[in-house]
Amino acid sequence: MNRLREKIGCFVRGPVRPCILFLLVFLLPCVARADVSVTIKLDRREATLVDSIRMVVSVSGTRSTESQPILHGLQSFHVTGGGTSSRVEIINGKVNAGVDYTYFIQPKKTGKFQIGPADVTVGGKAFRSNTVSMTVTEAAQASGVDRGPLFLSANLSSEQAYVEEQPIYTVKLFRQMKVSDISLDLPETEHLVFKQLGKPLEYQSVFNGKTYQVLEIRYAVVPSKEGGYTIGPTRMTMTVYQPERRSSRGLFDDPFFRDPFFSLSSGRPMTLASESHALTVLPLPQAGRPADFSGLVGTFKIESKLEPATVKAGESATLTVLLSGRGNVNRIPDMKGPELSHTKVYADNPVLKVEPDAQGLAGSKTMKWALVPEKQGRYEIPPLSVSFFDTTTHQYRVAQTRPMSLSVLPGEPETVQASSQRAHEGPSAGPAKQAVKELGRDILPVHTSVKALAGGDRVRPGQVFFWLVLMAPLFVYGAAFWGLRFRRKTDQTVAAMKSRKAAGKLIKKCRQRRISAGELSLCIRDYLNERFGLALGSLTPEEGAEILRSKGVSLDTAQDFRAVLERLEGAVYTGKGGESGDIHEDVPKLIRQIAKEIR
Amino acid sequence: MRRFLRPALITLLAFLPLGAGIAAENQPWEEVFFRANQAYKEGRFQKAIDGYSQLIQSGRETGHLFYNLGNAYFRLNQLGRTIANYERARLLIPRDPDLNFNLRYARDRTRDAIPASRGLISTTFFWLDSLNLDELFWGFAILNLLFWAILVARLFLRAEWTYYLSLVVLILWLMAGTSFGVKWYQLGTDDRAVILEHEVNVLAGPDIQDTVLFKLHEGTIVRQERSEDGWSLVRLPDKKRGWVKKGAVEQIHSTESGDHFSDVM
Repeated sequence: MNRLREKIGCFVRGPVRPCILFLLVFLLPCVARADVSVTIKLDRREATLVDSIRMVVSVSGTRSTESQPILHGLQSFHVTGGGTSSRVEIINGKVNAGVDYTYFIQPKKTGKFQIGPADVTVGGKAFRSNTVSMTVTEAAQASGVDRGPLFLSANLSSEQAYVEEQPIYTVKLFRQMKVSDISLDLPETEHLVFKQLGKPLEYQSVFNGKTYQVLEIRYAVVPSKEGGYTIGPTRMTMTVYQPERRSSRGLFDDPFFRDPFFSLSSGRPMTLASESHALTVLPLPQAGRPADFSGLVGTFKIESKLEPATVKAGESATLTVLLSGRGNVNRIPDMKGPELSHTKVYADNPVLKVEPDAQGLAGSKTMKWALVPEKQGRYEIPPLSVSFFDTTTHQYRVAQTRPMSLSVLPGEPETVQASSQRAHEGPSAGPAKQAVKELGRDILPVHTSVKALAGGDRVRPGQVFFWLVLMAPLFVYGAAFWGLRFRRKTDQTVAAMKSRKAAGKLIKKCRQRRISAGELSLCIRDYLNERFGLALGSLTPEEGAEILRSKGVSLDTAQDFRAVLERLEGAVYTGKGGESGDIHEDVPKLIRQIAKEIR
Repeated sequence: MRRFLRPALITLLAFLPLGAGIAAENQPWEEVFFRANQAYKEGRFQKAIDGYSQLIQSGRETGHLFYNLGNAYFRLNQLGRTIANYERARLLIPRDPDLNFNLRYARDRTRDAIPASRGLISTTFFWLDSLNLDELFWGFAILNLLFWAILVARLFLRAEWTYYLSLVVLILWLMAGTSFGVKWYQLGTDDRAVILEHEVNVLAGPDIQDTVLFKLHEGTIVRQERSEDGWSLVRLPDKKRGWVKKGAVEQIHSTESGDHFSDVM
């Protein structure tokens, strides 16, 4: 992780850097715990008592765990810690983080062991890994011959095999010195094909009491024809570096400079050869050989599934068959789909998956068919089978799918109609539909009900009734409208009469020459009360003008009215209340003006 | 109470003989109708035609009587009059399934292939074919009543919803009024006529010596533009025009009631 950060820091400068830091600091912890998984990996599945096996517990989906993994199934092994490393991968924009815990294990005894699972706690949640099997055998017997610091060894898992069986050919380079530029020449033998199984392995082992660094490469030997074969020696060419002996410690006597690149030792080419092996290839037995033998040799199993098991007529169900195993998986045949009546079968492209491992070639082939039933009912899908020669029992066997059934419900109307058109194909189909055929034509009979005589009197434009029906609502509306208007007008007339009456009374008073200012003032107050339906007890000039303005009298008239009232008020308060002077002559004019303005 | 009861009784007694007279008068028409039906049933189609025609001439111009009359003519193999009466019936009972079935059948038996033509008004007011004038009138009358009632209500209640309601009813009122007016106009200007004779020469002028332009056959519907001196000028939807003898065609609808029965009787 630190290395990654340094690397990023070297190349990224400027404004991009904060973004990257943001991603690292905030984004990675988020994605880290998205999908936590724990896996145990071994560098090989077979070892001897003297071998050291590298085991890695990989925790993906997090950058750290709360504690070291708890390992199970290692009671028969010596365990040495090999360190911890974090990793961050960005693949196609997707960030994956993980922690790898490395251990070196050495078997204490022979046998087959299940290693694992490993328990890891991340974020308070426990996660458990897979288990792996390991076979431990005795260490090779010491020949008593010291083979030196560098030698090549080849081993064949079986000296006898059937045609197409795959014995394992293992080449091991034992070394106690530095080597480089390794190249390998496999023996060439007619009818024998070598197929490499996985990547070369490197581990430590002990041979004849000496510790060696071992480079192991595995091959599956595939014989295509029976007979006796000799697998010649495998040759490996390399450059060997032998350190020069120094009498004293010098400037370059540091582990750093012991690397071949800096080493002061001189490299020399060397070719090593392994021992030869004999292989007897047996023909596949004729006894019990099925007529439809597929040529598969190994161990195989077959699985099948039907999804969905219930469909409507016209819809499709998928039949999937998975044939998997170990052996010559490349020869897994394309199986033929089931034959079903009233059902269309569409085959999908088979998918072959080959996964070589230390034990040989393994793989599977997935075959799919779309089944489209045309009719309702229950369809039995017959078992699908493939024959193979089982190398463990040395017998021919047949892998067969389990019988399955497909329930078909009635489909859409079109489907029903389509099936009914083929009614002759099955007794369950309904009668075929056909257009109604017209055999004759004639008119329908006369109407004999007395109602036929009714309805003769029709409304016609121009008739009185016609206009009456159409105009009556208009008349009603007109009557209502004018009635309302008349009523409103009547109210206005009453108000006008009251106004005239009040004005007449006041003018009559004004004509009395001996009316006092106080009396005239009261008369004006009464006029206002009567004219506008008020109940004023007293009247100030301001109030009088205000009332007139609110009733729609002009400003000038209202001010004149106010002036008259002020003069009257002045006359009353100055002791001249006994005379109204010439005010009583002005008031009638003013009252007429008011009546005129608010008529 | 007696004050009101006495005039009421007098009024009732005064109208009773009249009502009884009306009922007595109705009886023969029903009998005429039943006799015509019976004649039709017994295969005496001319007798049935006489009966139905008598009823129609007396003012009982119902769609069902025109339909029955058309049926009777059909039995006498008079396709032209059959179609003419079915078309008359269709103006009154346009949605009657029996009528439409028979009319379709009768049209299928005509010989001339006349392209159907619908004017702009008929296309726009497509619903008028399914409604008769009475139905349109009463629909308009109801909406008219509703519209003015809402206006009256608005004189007293100036609520907002009454405004929107009046708008909606106004639109419907206009539609119904226009439909009624258009139907009235269509009936008033309906100049369709039916060829009555088995084969008719259509001439270039109202004279037997004129050139024969084309021939028409019984049951074909034409437009009758005008009549002169016992000749009728007819027109086809594809603009072909010519003169035929007046007795060779019968107008489907006439503004003067009973006109189209002169040929029948």
